[in-house]
Amino acid sequence: MSDNAESPTETQKDDPSIQHAATEHTGASDEKKKIDVLLKAVGDAPIMKTKKWSVERGRTVQSLAQFISRFLKLEASEQLFIYVNQSFAPSPDQEVGVLFECFGSDGKLVLHYCKSQAWG
Amino acid sequence: RKVIMADDKDVLRDVWFGRIPACFTLSPEETTEREAEPYYLLLPRVSYLTLVTDKVKKHFLRVMKTEDVEEMWFEYEGTPLKWHYPIGVLFDLHASNTALPWNVTVHFKNFPERDLLHCSSNSVIEAHFMSCIKEADALKHKSQVINDMQKKDHKQLWMGLQNDKFDQFWAMNRKLMEYPTEEGGFRYIPFRIYQTTSDRPFIQKLFRPVSPEGHTLTLGDLLKELFPAAICAEDEPKRFQVMIHGIEPLLETPIQWLSEHLSHPDNFLHISIIPAPSD
Repeated sequence: MSDNAESPTETQKDDPSIQHAATEHTGASDEKKKIDVLLKAVGDAPIMKTKKWSVERGRTVQSLAQFISRFLKLEASEQLFIYVNQSFAPSPDQEVGVLFECFGSDGKLVLHYCKSQAWG
Repeated sequence: RKVIMADDKDVLRDVWFGRIPACFTLSPEETTEREAEPYYLLLPRVSYLTLVTDKVKKHFLRVMKTEDVEEMWFEYEGTPLKWHYPIGVLFDLHASNTALPWNVTVHFKNFPERDLLHCSSNSVIEAHFMSCIKEADALKHKSQVINDMQKKDHKQLWMGLQNDKFDQFWAMNRKLMEYPTEEGGFRYIPFRIYQTTSDRPFIQKLFRPVSPEGHTLTLGDLLKELFPAAICAEDEPKRFQVMIHGIEPLLETPIQWLSEHLSHPDNFLHISIIPAPSD
């Protein structure tokens, strides 16, 4: 699939702070306003066609979850659970930048998402 | 294996049983059938507002019409109080240098969606509490200790907090406070630094309790790296107070010791930085 950063999904138009991650990275990660997030599906959650996203540090877990739900066209009634390190569910108001600082590896934050509670 | 000394255990008890006298008053914007009297309550520092205020809700529901009642929420001097922060942190951050009791305003309408998370039941509080503990252990032990515990052990941590049972809680929590002797401490210290004047909710970063050269790092070392403005020279007037559980620990205190003894039940060291009072 093409890596066109301008791909016109309506979710992207609403969320300029979430973009396809560029394939090249320049600059020190401390100074970058955005961090790379890798989204992995768990259980029966649909797999996102684009898994790697560039997200502003100040973005909350809740708003990222809403973005994923809209992108996957989930029903309003369907819940989405997000996990870090396959071990804990961060608070919805937690900033992804903080999670990246503490739990990022290889320059990205890996988040697992599922429609039911996976790791309690 | 670390031995908890008798004096240290007193600290654990003092932290657990810390209380804040509060006075709850119904917001004047709420419509009532009769006048609402204020309600006084001693709040546990280490617990959460929505876990300990059932009596507050019952008290005010008596003077209100059911159709006027939505989810209860709290506010102090115009600031909505986040129930998912420990009570002691909220007090230290917003009201520590004001006269007691802590005057909190109660609301049942106009829930501030942008400032507060919803709390529909105690299981929401339990999920949040357990997530914090898991996050803390991910930092301290790469989640090894919490993952080795059984589901019933996790439940015991929560029940201990919910029912204010120090011994029940610490029977399990002491496992989360252990570390291999050769390491000298946890892998990273779970901490959060709060400041009311910041646009960010809190500062949380990776911080090792022991330097690469093997030195025991202190609260002062943590602040030097993450909040240098809180450290001032001897001849300068102090600009900030660095508060944990309502006290200002000496900056020379080892951060490992603080993590083991002054953490909240969620296993995080919550540090409030407030402007020093100008008297």
